[in-house]
Amino acid sequence: MNVSLNWLATHVDLEGRSPDELDQLLTFAGVEVEGIEVKGVPSDKIVVAQIKEAVPHPNADKLKVTQVDAGEGALRQIVCGAKNYQVGDKVPCCLPGTDLGGFVIGETKMRGVESKGMLAAASEIGLTDAEDGLMILPADAEVGRPLRGMFDTDVLLEVEVTPNRPDLLSHYGMAREMATLLEQPLAQLDIPERSESVSTGVRIEAADACPYYTAVRIRDVEVKDSPAWLRQRLEAIGLRPINNIVDITNFVLHELGQPLHAFDAAKVSGGIVVREAGEGEVFAALDEESYPLEPGDCVISDESGAALALGGVMGGIDSGVTAETREVLLESAYFTPSRIRRTSRRTALMSDSSYRFERGVDPAGVDRASALAVKLILELAGGTAEAATMVAGAAPVVTGEVELDLARLDQLSGGCVAHDEAAALLERLGLESTGGGKWRVPSFRADLQRHIDLVEEIIRVKGLDAVESRLRGTFVPSSEVDHRYDADLRLRERLAGLGFHECQTIKLIADGELADALPLKPLRDGDAIRVSLPLSEDHAVMRPSMSPGLVASAARNLRQGATALRLFEMGRVFRNAGGGKARDLEGETLGILLGGEIQPAGWDRAARAADLHDLKAVVAALVPTCRLQFSPRERDGFALGCDVLAEGQNIGVFAMLSPARARALDATTPLFLVELDLAKLRKLAAVSRDIAELPQFPGSSRDAAMEAPAELANAAIEKVLAKLNEPLLVGYECFDVFRDPSGDKLAADRKSVAYRMHYRAADRTLKSKQVDAAHQGVLDKLSADLGVSFR
Amino acid sequence: MKDQIDAIQTEALARIGAVADARSLEEARVAILGKQGSLPQLSAGMREVPKEQKAEVGQLLNGARQAITAALEEKKDALQAAADARALEGIDPTLPARALHHGSLHPLTLIRHQAISILRRMGFALAEGPEIETEFHCFDALNTPADHPARNEKDTFYFDSGKLLRTHTSTVQIRTMETGKPPVRIIAPGSAYRRDEIDATHLSVFNQLEGLYVDADVSLGDLKGTLEYFLHELFGADTEVRFRPHFFPFTEPSFEIDVKLHAKGQQPKWIEVAGCGMVDPAVFEAVNDSRGDLAYDPARVTGFAFGMGLDRLAMIRWGIKDIRLLIENDTRFLRQFA
Repeated sequence: MNVSLNWLATHVDLEGRSPDELDQLLTFAGVEVEGIEVKGVPSDKIVVAQIKEAVPHPNADKLKVTQVDAGEGALRQIVCGAKNYQVGDKVPCCLPGTDLGGFVIGETKMRGVESKGMLAAASEIGLTDAEDGLMILPADAEVGRPLRGMFDTDVLLEVEVTPNRPDLLSHYGMAREMATLLEQPLAQLDIPERSESVSTGVRIEAADACPYYTAVRIRDVEVKDSPAWLRQRLEAIGLRPINNIVDITNFVLHELGQPLHAFDAAKVSGGIVVREAGEGEVFAALDEESYPLEPGDCVISDESGAALALGGVMGGIDSGVTAETREVLLESAYFTPSRIRRTSRRTALMSDSSYRFERGVDPAGVDRASALAVKLILELAGGTAEAATMVAGAAPVVTGEVELDLARLDQLSGGCVAHDEAAALLERLGLESTGGGKWRVPSFRADLQRHIDLVEEIIRVKGLDAVESRLRGTFVPSSEVDHRYDADLRLRERLAGLGFHECQTIKLIADGELADALPLKPLRDGDAIRVSLPLSEDHAVMRPSMSPGLVASAARNLRQGATALRLFEMGRVFRNAGGGKARDLEGETLGILLGGEIQPAGWDRAARAADLHDLKAVVAALVPTCRLQFSPRERDGFALGCDVLAEGQNIGVFAMLSPARARALDATTPLFLVELDLAKLRKLAAVSRDIAELPQFPGSSRDAAMEAPAELANAAIEKVLAKLNEPLLVGYECFDVFRDPSGDKLAADRKSVAYRMHYRAADRTLKSKQVDAAHQGVLDKLSADLGVSFR
Repeated sequence: MKDQIDAIQTEALARIGAVADARSLEEARVAILGKQGSLPQLSAGMREVPKEQKAEVGQLLNGARQAITAALEEKKDALQAAADARALEGIDPTLPARALHHGSLHPLTLIRHQAISILRRMGFALAEGPEIETEFHCFDALNTPADHPARNEKDTFYFDSGKLLRTHTSTVQIRTMETGKPPVRIIAPGSAYRRDEIDATHLSVFNQLEGLYVDADVSLGDLKGTLEYFLHELFGADTEVRFRPHFFPFTEPSFEIDVKLHAKGQQPKWIEVAGCGMVDPAVFEAVNDSRGDLAYDPARVTGFAFGMGLDRLAMIRWGIKDIRLLIENDTRFLRQFA
């Protein structure tokens, strides 16, 4: 909301208060000041100058070289491009050094001709343009005089009022607050009391939406432009003057906070009926749009049933005041906040009126605003008002008595507010003590309903500075979430140490990105959770896995020329447990993406592209004490899909992005993904198992070179070895795999796999024969189970 | 004999002196001192030396052996030293380092961890709640009326199920109080969602840190002391902090907190970093209704709550001008946090 300081000053004395001081005052009263704009001539160096001569610029067709008298004795030469003046005119002249909001006028050369200052248009010096070009000043303006003293200045505050304080949404309301805070008197409003009322002419059929409705008939008005003072008031806060009647309703809204509406009485047939909208009713608003209405919307109509206005929100296109209007029906009413909010939100129609009604206007302000508007209309548009105001319903009571519990005030505030001071503060705020600790709340403060609301007011006005800071806290034990957080941080740090960058991606993804998803369990139809009304199709579905975000991040980095892709993200993933019909599940996973160069090129070696074994190594580094297995299981849209098992337990899924998808991303190397179940990973990564004693006796190793069919998976060998009941075998590793596609050294459909087996006994040094015997047993078992031969 | 010894010694020393590599030195050693070497061969002639000369010749032979052995040792050391020197020749320590991948934690993780660390030292434990929430936990229980402006499909993501994506982490206040009794002293980092177009200052999914302390006699002084301490730890002990009265449905009184930011080359300015307030009694009442007891009787417990935007804190901390940098994961950006 825009607040004009000149306007405020009609209600409260702000003499000598700087804009910064008022900013501070409002800020600490809970009103956010978002901007301060000083209106009016910005500098004392802008003076009245008379143009004595203007000759064409030798080097520019559109410029003239002028000699002006700025009251300095000598003439001043200024190059100027305007056309609207004549020699002899008096115009504003910005002398060198004039600061026009950061732009400082200097002495310069324009197209080779000296120019010592600037002749200005009104809009260039904080005033309103009356014509294109230079501002032509009155002929009697005194040459050399600063313009600042000749024109009003104003300060415009752009404030954000919190939704609980609709009483501040007007200049009078804001002035009332400032008077309270500054302990200054508030000027009395000069508004006549309403004399008579009749209950005819208006009828309420929707009392829930509009409990109180008034209208005044004013005949023989003359619709014309508003006088300068009124136009200035509106223009000062950024409103466009329209005509005297409309301007008065706008003025009263911003003066008192009560929205009004003026109907052209000629467009109203019979009396006014406040009713609910009918099924299928369409309203043509004055913004020239049509809005379908629903029962629940409140319509102002006439006896014929025609909708004149959408109550409290906007007038109709046909019922408003125009230049031809001779008779006016002036509406002032109270609309129920929740009803206005619902209609305004549903129709997406917002107005200064709906903004105030949906926050709640002062019920006592309805009559007062009407009276002020009638008074102004009679003054500015002539005519006669009907003596009796047409009234239906009654102003609702929205405030009552509230008890202030002083013991609880003391507890909350640490006793920083003396009880008599608290009482004085409430009185300044317009509350009245009714005895027994009870306070009557004025009608404009419907936000004060409970004890705590009064405490809030006292602390707000007193200021939190008065409250003494206290540092103490009850001990509480750490939680499961603490332990998970710590475990996750260790994983994050380990991955960063392994050279991976942690990512953060948006948890809402596009439908199309689901194809990149590698969830722990494949998605079935309906498992992906979709928001009802996405902001865009790019952010429509809750991510079921980390991989779509990681793939998108990889694509972005590839476009930027990244040669190594080492990314991970940890966090929540979402899916429905059963095709959209069961519970929505929130799990936590770790996603890792690896691609590009695993070993960057250096001055002594070539680059090497990452392969799947590199990512396996990373997974192994996260659970270094676990036996890790990758067990192939196809995944739609991916290559080399595998379940990831640690200690035989399924902890996640691995895959390579399909070559086609990688090509689409312009990746020149394969991209590998792994998605791990964080709940399982945390447990496995923790060092919690019993620590093994170090061996006391030396061991020996034996190599086994197996020749096997090329398609025999290493996992098959490991499986046999894992199941062996050979107590002396304490470890093994594969150290060579050889194939010869040419078939020269080995048949092309065969491979040679070399393992090193480690043997050791815990209680003695093994003799060579014992090792040989154990090794032979291992070879026999491999040979028997897998049909491999040994070389 | 003496002459022969002299000759062998002279020849041996000359040969050793001329040797240029370890292999030749070993050959020389074998040729001179080996079983068939010249010196042992000569030693065999001792038998024929007259008895009275034996001692003298023996001495000479020993002397020759010692001299030759010493020369061999010396040569061996010299050759090793030369080899060591050669091994280091041509090594240019000014060549660039071999590349290792340096990883990084996301700036959000860094700022979140710093915030959490400070608050944990003050005795707050971590808590969490679902991101797909009910209207009750997101709005009703937080004293936000059914027709509140935030509660519509334009500002909040809803699902066909009627659930929604939580618009703030304050939902965790309710979740925590529903399942536990006072005292409650928790912080909850997590994502929140608002239907905002993504631009330089907005994300539709952002990160918050929520805090809640409920006990007998929690006061405004506790709120102020806790948050002042927190912000001084986070932004520096001499950072100015101010509390502006504000409005939130679920706290009363409510405040927004600003810190005065001194950015290089700019005028110091107040930057909003958090919202806070005393838990509104209506929130306790909603929790009691949901629990079916009076564990959070507003007459007996009070509390304060606070919330802050972690993305925003990260932007302030590192002078990040465009919030989208936090979700684009450009490694040129991330690398700076390695």
